[in-house]
Amino acid sequence: MLNYIVRRLIIAVFLLLGVGIVSFIVIQLPPGDFASNYKAYLVNQAGMPEEEAERAAQLVRQRYDLDKPVAVQFVLWIKGMLTEGKFGYSFSYRRDVGELIAERLPKTLFLAFLCHAISTLTGIGLGIFVAPRKYGFWDNVSAVVAFLFTSVPRFSIALVILYVLVFTFHQPSIVSFFSPQYVIAPWSWGRVVDMFKHIWPVLIIAGLGGMARNMRVMRGNLLDVLGAQFITAVRAKGLKESSVLLRHAVPNALHPIVAYQGTVLPYMIQGEMEAAIVLNLPTMGPLFYSSLVNQDIYIAGCFLLLYGALIVVGNLVADVSLAILDPRIRYS
Amino acid sequence: MGDGIASTPPVDQTAADLTGLRRTDRSAGEPDLAPVEQLGAQAAHNESYFELVWRRFRRSKASIAGGLMVLMLIILAAFADFVTPYPLDKINLNAAFIPPQRVHFFDAQGRFHWRPFVYNLTNTMNMKTFEVYWTEDQSTLYEIGFFVRGPEYRLLGIIPCNVHLFGVSDGGTIYLLGTDKMGRDLWGKACEAGRISLSMSLFGAIISIAVGSVMGVVSGYYGGWVDTVLQRFVEFVNAFPQLPLWMALAALIPKTMDSFSVFILMSIIFAMLSWTTLAREVRGKVLALRQTDFILAAKEMGASDARIIFVHLYPNTLSHVIVILTLTIPTVILAESFLSFLGIGIQEPLISWGLLMRNAQDIHVLGNALWIFAPVGFIVVAVLGFNFLGDGLRDAADPYASM
Repeated sequence: MLNYIVRRLIIAVFLLLGVGIVSFIVIQLPPGDFASNYKAYLVNQAGMPEEEAERAAQLVRQRYDLDKPVAVQFVLWIKGMLTEGKFGYSFSYRRDVGELIAERLPKTLFLAFLCHAISTLTGIGLGIFVAPRKYGFWDNVSAVVAFLFTSVPRFSIALVILYVLVFTFHQPSIVSFFSPQYVIAPWSWGRVVDMFKHIWPVLIIAGLGGMARNMRVMRGNLLDVLGAQFITAVRAKGLKESSVLLRHAVPNALHPIVAYQGTVLPYMIQGEMEAAIVLNLPTMGPLFYSSLVNQDIYIAGCFLLLYGALIVVGNLVADVSLAILDPRIRYS
Repeated sequence: MGDGIASTPPVDQTAADLTGLRRTDRSAGEPDLAPVEQLGAQAAHNESYFELVWRRFRRSKASIAGGLMVLMLIILAAFADFVTPYPLDKINLNAAFIPPQRVHFFDAQGRFHWRPFVYNLTNTMNMKTFEVYWTEDQSTLYEIGFFVRGPEYRLLGIIPCNVHLFGVSDGGTIYLLGTDKMGRDLWGKACEAGRISLSMSLFGAIISIAVGSVMGVVSGYYGGWVDTVLQRFVEFVNAFPQLPLWMALAALIPKTMDSFSVFILMSIIFAMLSWTTLAREVRGKVLALRQTDFILAAKEMGASDARIIFVHLYPNTLSHVIVILTLTIPTVILAESFLSFLGIGIQEPLISWGLLMRNAQDIHVLGNALWIFAPVGFIVVAVLGFNFLGDGLRDAADPYASM
């Protein structure tokens, strides 16, 4: 068991390193470095003379080690993030990227996990509901709905919800987590309710597609298990159909869905991202998008790395929990 | 009966037996037996692989519907100039943001007309709020004509032509999906946008298929350390967050680049992360096939690796490749539409479904001109169509498996 976990951990570390390299390449790709952008900004916007701007740019180069070779820069970048929490400097926000991340990452994680939990639970539940009704009315309805949810672009669902909220319900303050009166209030029941009033579009947009996928996978697994011989034996023993399903079939069909969570997580994060960008919620998605538009390249690189890290860690968790559930994987 | 079997050629004995038996059974009831040669010719006709696939594919109604949806979009895209009554690139700022016009059968007096017609829309502005109201001018009705003459265009870019699928007489307008900011007919634009959206996704999918096939075949056929390295690489690519990386790379494309290069680069970006599924499937298939007798026979006869791969192995994985191709296209369509919607994908003068909806990002535009949103229907039809098609093909691709 420990051996298996350690092996997965080592692989995860290498994957993260790879993701880091690619993110760094994305930072390096645009012509000109951060300091030359800074210099251009000083000359054009602040009206600083050329030489002074150049001197300021040199200072920035030294401070952020931009005068060193690329490989050294990469090592320093990784080291800065791991040891000092120095992620780089954001132009448009005039702050360290680390602060921005600290501000937005918890909210993103919270939303993503909430979506994940809801869609997994409802997906599994619906899968258990439709599997015994194969090709029945509800099975067909759920199949069509699942197809629809995975086919409609999620940004368009977000737009529709936005439209309904603004023009039908006239809801103010849609682009935040809370209504104004709750923003700085301490946690209370009212605050939680208020928060859900604001974040349900994201939960729906990111969650529905994931729910549909989980449902289809669960249905397929359960159908496979229900066709197995031990189910016939259990039925022959005269057990009630409900206990056949819930006691014997479902636990055996759960393994693939745990493995599948590694696949669903990126889907969920991307859904959260699409919805948050359209609704402009203060999570990572909109900031990532605006950093791409403004060529605010340190944010883009760091966020890319973070998204990658989320997925790698998610896969790791899925692998480990699968190993806990299934001894066949543990000992292979 | 015995004649029928004896006259079948020895090749492919089992299938020939089956058909031979069936044919001769039927003819055995007839008083005079058909000539032996004719029977033999009948029996020798085996259903080819593609006939079997088609027979199985036909059974699923959803996949037929999916195929038709895709076909319809392709036709609309190819003949976009023909199916819209207006020139595609005409800008008419006087006609900006006209809502979709309703097609009527009953006029204002409640009389039924055999020929559908439209009323022109006129706008009035509330001078207090500056809100614009569109009302139907019911004084004149404009009958919709089919195959009418209109503005000149070149059919498929070659044949000069001026016939349009439908249109109204002079003085009338017909905007089925309304118009956009520039006063362009949204229906025509949405049809035209299909050209880029569909061809880019197809192109991207083909690139990813090519990469995935090479990786899969090499990995499965050579095995050993090559396999290990390639599989780790596939895992690595899989660990990437697709959408954020697509966004980051697409945003790196310089805005000044010419349209064609943007098109190619975008396709490559989409292909870069989507080849892994196929690589895995092809690898699995090749691994299984490598052990079979006919590959061993080919090896024993001294066939080169290239011959074994291209003549014996790869064609046998082709059915899976086609399935994955149809299932990759919708993901690329969705991603492309989102990127273009955000303004970091396709740029004008190229046009795609996502780009058409770009104006809907502005909440004012969305509130006043909801029909800007119409191209999403095309996206949904395309994605659903390809998904249904792919699902049907997946079931049909292996016709020898029992149902």
